[in-house]
Amino acid sequence: MTIGDHLHAFHGLPAFTFPGPEAKADLPAPDSVAWRVTSDVYDADEEWESAFARFLDAVDTTAVRALIVGAWQEAYDTEPSGVVEALVAARDRLPALRALFVGDMVGEECEISWIHQTDVTPLLAAFPALEELGVRGGTQLRFPAVRHEALRRLTMQTGGLPADVVRGVGASDLPALEHLDLWLGTPDYGGDSEASDLEPILSGARLPRLRHLALRNSEMQDAVAAAVASAPVVARLETLDLSMGVLTDEGAAALLGGQPLTHLKTLDLHHHYIGEPLLERLSQTLEPAGVHLYVDRGDAEEDQDGDGTVWRYVAVGE
Amino acid sequence: MTPGRPAAARFAVVGNPDNRRVTLFADAVRAAGLPGPRLVPWADVLRDGGADFAPDEIVRLDSPGEDAHVDRLLRGTDDPTRVEGSARWYTAFTSAVRGLRGGLRLDDPDDLAVLFDKRRCHAVLAAAGVPVPASPTSGPGAPPVRGWDDARALMREHRMARLFVKLAHGSSASGVLAVESAGGGRIRATTSVELAPDGRLFNSLRIRRYTDERQIAAVVDALAPDGLHLERWLPKASQRGRAADLRVVVVDGRATHAVVRTSASPLTNLHLGGRRGDLDEARAAVESAGARWTDVLAVCERAAACFPRTLCVGVDLLPAVGWRRVAVGEVNAFGDLLPRLTGLPGSGAEGRDTYAAQVAAALRRHGPRSTPGSPDPQDVDDPGDPHGKHHPLHPHPHDTRTGSAHAIA
Repeated sequence: MTIGDHLHAFHGLPAFTFPGPEAKADLPAPDSVAWRVTSDVYDADEEWESAFARFLDAVDTTAVRALIVGAWQEAYDTEPSGVVEALVAARDRLPALRALFVGDMVGEECEISWIHQTDVTPLLAAFPALEELGVRGGTQLRFPAVRHEALRRLTMQTGGLPADVVRGVGASDLPALEHLDLWLGTPDYGGDSEASDLEPILSGARLPRLRHLALRNSEMQDAVAAAVASAPVVARLETLDLSMGVLTDEGAAALLGGQPLTHLKTLDLHHHYIGEPLLERLSQTLEPAGVHLYVDRGDAEEDQDGDGTVWRYVAVGE
Repeated sequence: MTPGRPAAARFAVVGNPDNRRVTLFADAVRAAGLPGPRLVPWADVLRDGGADFAPDEIVRLDSPGEDAHVDRLLRGTDDPTRVEGSARWYTAFTSAVRGLRGGLRLDDPDDLAVLFDKRRCHAVLAAAGVPVPASPTSGPGAPPVRGWDDARALMREHRMARLFVKLAHGSSASGVLAVESAGGGRIRATTSVELAPDGRLFNSLRIRRYTDERQIAAVVDALAPDGLHLERWLPKASQRGRAADLRVVVVDGRATHAVVRTSASPLTNLHLGGRRGDLDEARAAVESAGARWTDVLAVCERAAACFPRTLCVGVDLLPAVGWRRVAVGEVNAFGDLLPRLTGLPGSGAEGRDTYAAQVAAALRRHGPRSTPGSPDPQDVDDPGDPHGKHHPLHPHPHDTRTGSAHAIA
């Protein structure tokens, strides 16, 4: 599966694509939408930086609350360092900016594992009031440890999240962070972290306000589940999301054998490879306690080779 | 006999007996109150080197596909799932068409020769200012692509990191590869072509992804002797999370029928997992992107107008990401198989399927004259129709733009 849709909404605001240079459409109120500023991956008529300059001229940016960076030119080969620089340079013109997403591209534009990212932490330094940061694409993504007082939600959607990034997030001090969503991906696409790299996150020591944790889309989803089963942070969570990965009976058994999960409001395991007996036990254990359990199998289907090798896939790889 | 006609029009169809296309067209002819068409099987045309038609017979050609015997005669292969043989098919088919003599024709041998050569078709569309994806293989003068090395060279020279490699004479996604490349030697091809260990190529119902350049080269090298057309891959717009394109049928100059096809892969063909999408939603997406739906249909009509002696074509229209721009992917001579789909509002084909619309248009072109004052019930056009019945050949501000998606805003 690939990413098929652009963001429809972001930071509680409907997404609105800032129109091209030739359009004469009326623009919405600056604080009423999440502005999507985009170029094209291929044959761009206008580079992202130019589109952004037009945006800064056309919109009262002092009221803009949410920005979505769409496609930049040749994103399959090019880090968006110019995008990050342009955003940082515009910091004084965006005093109300609270939410930023970098890389809202669908598979037709650039498959998630082909999107080149960059060091996104300068954005956190430039926008100390930012409450939400999202990125799509793991190649060349960097996240050296930071301290940020305001960030409440951090999302990294990848087909392979580099171990250095996982460690950087774990080593960051994010006292306001409530919602962490990491798509760990597969080693084929640079997702080279191991379950032990998650330990600083799972201890919760630097994430005192964390309530919603998603560690998903992982080829090692069983190992993640096993690590989560005894993780201190879990007692504080309302939502635990281990969906989209290669979660099998092994991971399900680890969850059932670990600490109680009955305090959760939601346990999301959709797109999984768990057999019926263990699904039944999960349901019997958690649902009477009021846990919303999501176990839609989706398109999680095993393939078997001629030699008997079974292949299982994460939800978003490519 | 239809009242008001001095003599009933009569149709003949060149097609494969029992094929549903032929059946659907015959049904439409009979529904118009006319005798069923005379069927001339392609197998007979190929055996006899042609066929003769009466001067007043209205002659429709339908696809010679989906018939193993005819396919063997045209392509020279025993297995209809084999990919190879499309160049031979082209030569045999165009020559068979030229052997059809007499009648009132709804098709044209020269138009067909262009429609079944993607390189020539691309050049004709581009010359007419119809927006098409850029191609280094457009037209008869373009360099031949003799294999993967040639394709690679053209990709470098034309900075085409992402492209479709198509058989020049292929149809229905046969022999199509969607190729994307990036630095560091990364490459991937998405295709329904299956390379057998012995080097033969098969059309598969399963989409495959090749990431080993040697495998991609082997497939392309095996396809190349039949002729290849390269085209830039424009990122398509999406609908409900799936890549979308449109098939728009143009009958006698007017866009009459349209469907959206959506897919989770770059290939939207229905037999490869494509699904019908929602046309109203597509139309709304176009309008909310600041473009006009009538302009989208006009692009299809301008593509069809490149083939004025052909009554009906099916245009594959590619909406670019964001739905603000479109380009024409292909124009199909036999692109009217959309059973039970009725015409677009304001198209003049409301309530008619593609076949009934063609019967009505054929009678307008070739049917016996109606008696003045008694209009043919098959030939009613809404005089208030804003869409117009003319070929929209008027110049367009963006007509000179080819090689990228076409602004319709």
